[in-house]
Amino acid sequence: MTDLAPLRALLDHHVVGHDEVKTALLLALITREHIYVEGPPGTAKTRLAEVAAKGSDLDFFFYQLHRDTRLAELVGDIVLERRRVKTEPTDPAGSGEAERIHQRIEPGGLLTAEVAVLDDISRAPGEALNVLLRILNERRFGAEPIPLMAAIATGNPMDDEYYNEPLDPANLDRFALQLRVTGLIQSGAEDARLLIDRFAAGSVVEQPEPEPVTDRTTLDSLNRRMYEVRIGPAVRAALLDVLRTLVLEFECNETNSLLTDRTFLVKAVKILRGTALLAGRDTVELADLAALSWMTTFRVPPEAHEALPRVIGRVSRQVRAV
Amino acid sequence: MAPPAPDRRVADLAAAFVELRTALGRTLIGQDDAATGLTLALLAEQHAYLEGPPGCGKSALAAALAALSGARTHTLVFHRDIRETDLLGDVLLSRHRHRGHERLRRELIPGPLLQAEIALLEDLPRSPGEALGPLLRILAERHALGQPLPLESAVATGPLEQVEAPIDPLEPGQLDRFAVQLRLTGLLTGGLFDEAAVLLEREAARVPPRSADPSAADSAGAPAAATAAPRSAVISTGTPNRLEPGERRSGSRRRRGGPSSELGNRQPGEPRGAFSPRSAVMSTTTRNAAQRAAAALRIEPRTIDAYHRLLDRLRQRSADNSASGDRLMSDRSFSSAALRLVRAHAFLRGAPAAAPRDLGAIRYMVAHRLPEEVQADFDHILEELLGDPPKVTMTETGAQMPGAQSQGDDDSDGAAAASPASDSWIDDKADLPAPPTLFGKPPAPAQVDPLLRALVGRIERGRIDPDTDPGGQPRGYRPLRDLDELIDADVIEALLFAEGRLPGAPRTFERKRRSAGGAVAVLRDISASMAGRLTVWSSQVVLGILRVAARRRMRVGYVEFHHRALPHEVGGRLLHRSYSRLAEQAGQAKAVGQTNYEAPLRTALEGLRGGSGRNRHIVLLTDGLPIIGDTTVRRERQLAHRLGVALHTVFLGNGDCPPVLDDISLETAGLRFCGRPTAGGGLRLEER
Repeated sequence: MTDLAPLRALLDHHVVGHDEVKTALLLALITREHIYVEGPPGTAKTRLAEVAAKGSDLDFFFYQLHRDTRLAELVGDIVLERRRVKTEPTDPAGSGEAERIHQRIEPGGLLTAEVAVLDDISRAPGEALNVLLRILNERRFGAEPIPLMAAIATGNPMDDEYYNEPLDPANLDRFALQLRVTGLIQSGAEDARLLIDRFAAGSVVEQPEPEPVTDRTTLDSLNRRMYEVRIGPAVRAALLDVLRTLVLEFECNETNSLLTDRTFLVKAVKILRGTALLAGRDTVELADLAALSWMTTFRVPPEAHEALPRVIGRVSRQVRAV
Repeated sequence: MAPPAPDRRVADLAAAFVELRTALGRTLIGQDDAATGLTLALLAEQHAYLEGPPGCGKSALAAALAALSGARTHTLVFHRDIRETDLLGDVLLSRHRHRGHERLRRELIPGPLLQAEIALLEDLPRSPGEALGPLLRILAERHALGQPLPLESAVATGPLEQVEAPIDPLEPGQLDRFAVQLRLTGLLTGGLFDEAAVLLEREAARVPPRSADPSAADSAGAPAAATAAPRSAVISTGTPNRLEPGERRSGSRRRRGGPSSELGNRQPGEPRGAFSPRSAVMSTTTRNAAQRAAAALRIEPRTIDAYHRLLDRLRQRSADNSASGDRLMSDRSFSSAALRLVRAHAFLRGAPAAAPRDLGAIRYMVAHRLPEEVQADFDHILEELLGDPPKVTMTETGAQMPGAQSQGDDDSDGAAAASPASDSWIDDKADLPAPPTLFGKPPAPAQVDPLLRALVGRIERGRIDPDTDPGGQPRGYRPLRDLDELIDADVIEALLFAEGRLPGAPRTFERKRRSAGGAVAVLRDISASMAGRLTVWSSQVVLGILRVAARRRMRVGYVEFHHRALPHEVGGRLLHRSYSRLAEQAGQAKAVGQTNYEAPLRTALEGLRGGSGRNRHIVLLTDGLPIIGDTTVRRERQLAHRLGVALHTVFLGNGDCPPVLDDISLETAGLRFCGRPTAGGGLRLEER
């Protein structure tokens, strides 16, 4: 296990179940990718994000998005700077003075945080999210780099019961990792029993404050180690075969999918390396390709996403056979 | 105006731009076409618009151009709330005492964008059209706040006109400001798996970013170098440069190399092999000298002839494909800009004058100016016109190979006989990427257009005017109504207001949104009599409606019916937003069985009943009398009336339109259409 074992333990301590989301959160912190978790209300989405952020002792920014969200609410205050400048005596009738007024943003919120939790991101209008998500992508605001490591966004399902609009595809693409959660009780999972037992025991104080169990130094060193993880030609070939299958067999294209080069050729490599590192390895193995399904959740048509484990299995067998 | 430069000097200038092109191509794997287009744009001092799906490297390419060219750059990310001061500069507020009262004057001081040589305009269409108007005019005029701009090229990026993006697509008039228009395709979705493998390999070898700057690990985040070389001279641009006979260069410089890669012919001392787009490959002096030299290049008379013929051909073909909508061949673009690009093309390959095949540069202009079919066919049209498949490419860049021997050919078209070079910098035979069409199907041909237009008008009625919404796009100003709105007020007026110097309240943005939503259900008769052409037509109608619904984010339902209703549900719901899936379905319909109106209407109304709000429609496409079920559909009509659902009916075919269709439409304020096959095999549509 890696240096992140304490953080994982902390997540387990605070939230029952949701194994995949927990792993993906750790992966996001190591690879410094953003993560989007979608699920119905009350499924510990926000709680998980919060525990992960606080447990890693990072500067933390939490924002609940709403339908009138403005840029200033996320990036800090808009300030006006006024500077007296000399005027040219354009008006012969009187003495003049002039001020130069410059509008700028006093960095705050997202611009100074290391981890940002963007709650209910799907409630904000798509038009408003654009610049926010570009900041996430480029990790700079204007010319200034920002310290952000990972943004964790949550959202409700895109059904009609919830007053939100599907995220714009370009915006959704900023989140390398995408997961869908269902409630433990709703889905009748094993863990549901555990969850109820825990509260029935009465020994748990609801919503205790998580203590930091890891820190930026650890995460930085993990991030450097991630780049040392080898990803050999076999895994690369398998990855490409999986993608080829999605395009050719499942007919993923520009209108029905977000099979973007940025995500699947650049970020996928990082995610695979991170997955291997989380498993305590220094080489990516074919088994790590399973992590791809955390990238396809909302990027390919549902049937292709569901078929992905099968495709990965088939491709892996073929690659092994060669 | 450039002094007549010695040949060697001109060769160096061209070489610098070839180097730029090569370095761009290396920055972004598999996007050679775009790299060439951008290089030509900068050389010809034209603006460029890059369009493509997310994550295909638009921004990275634009940023690389800026960094490699050494130009003073300003990047501006467009978003909903962009303001005048972001675009133009700071406000200078001056106060003058004048006969006992104070006079306030507000001026703009040119900001960084107006001082840039290359302006990167990211996500341009994300701003409301109102905000873009003044900026785009400035870009075109290259003159602002009373002074000429140092601007050489503005490179804008924008998302593909995608079904779900909440943007107003740029109008053709706005797009026309960008002479070069490029459409990028992703490697994966474009099927370029070999290139994808190269990119994967490169990523697998990636080492941790040196600094704490995490963006270095993101290919799409390649930042522009903000270093600005001091500018030697301000050139005024935007007008077609006169040909200066004195600047004509002799043909002796021009030589034709073998099919070798120019990569192998790099001159000593030039930077090589660097992936990092952060170091410039040319100085501002070189860049500007090359631009002047390219602009002054002679155009051979036969090139002009060929150009006229090309325009004729394009006009002709575009007229044939008029159904594809707003296309524009403006005088502005196809006179000055086009010819500068043609000159740049010739300059880049080291030719002394623009030959007919330099018209190939026009292909970088067509993405939004010609119907998609014509774009896809552009290379073919040009080849045909030149009478000879111009397989030869730019390997004769004399500029690149000062040592190579001149072959003494005067006729550059004669070079067509030379063997094609696969890795030359301009691959004339490379196909334009297939233009994406919505749902991967060709747009509906002209026959069903009137019907679609009428339907669309009805479906969109009430939502053409956007609703006031605090989360929407700023569409103008209105007086401040309450203090909470101060955050959205005009900054300067808010300031004066706070100081008690403003007589009234400050103006604040009036924000509006097009209300998304509403629902439309399409009921399509697939009974046996619909076989043949009628099936094709009704498929086109369905696709057209789906396209409109997708753009307006309306939920759609699709029910095929014969004696039974066959709803195509997704996730157990009739109404959903899986447009592509329905489009696919609509293309596969087979005609079978008899006609029943009752069942599909009931199904659709049940589906629509759950929803709320106005703007709910049903479109019934049929060719015959109902035989099965309640043929008067009395209950369904009543239900539709009660729910406020508009029932539009379209009757296709030669027979008499069943009166029940009229009743249905009249009772529910729906449209009535009928379509009759014509002798010529077309379809004549009229309102009943």
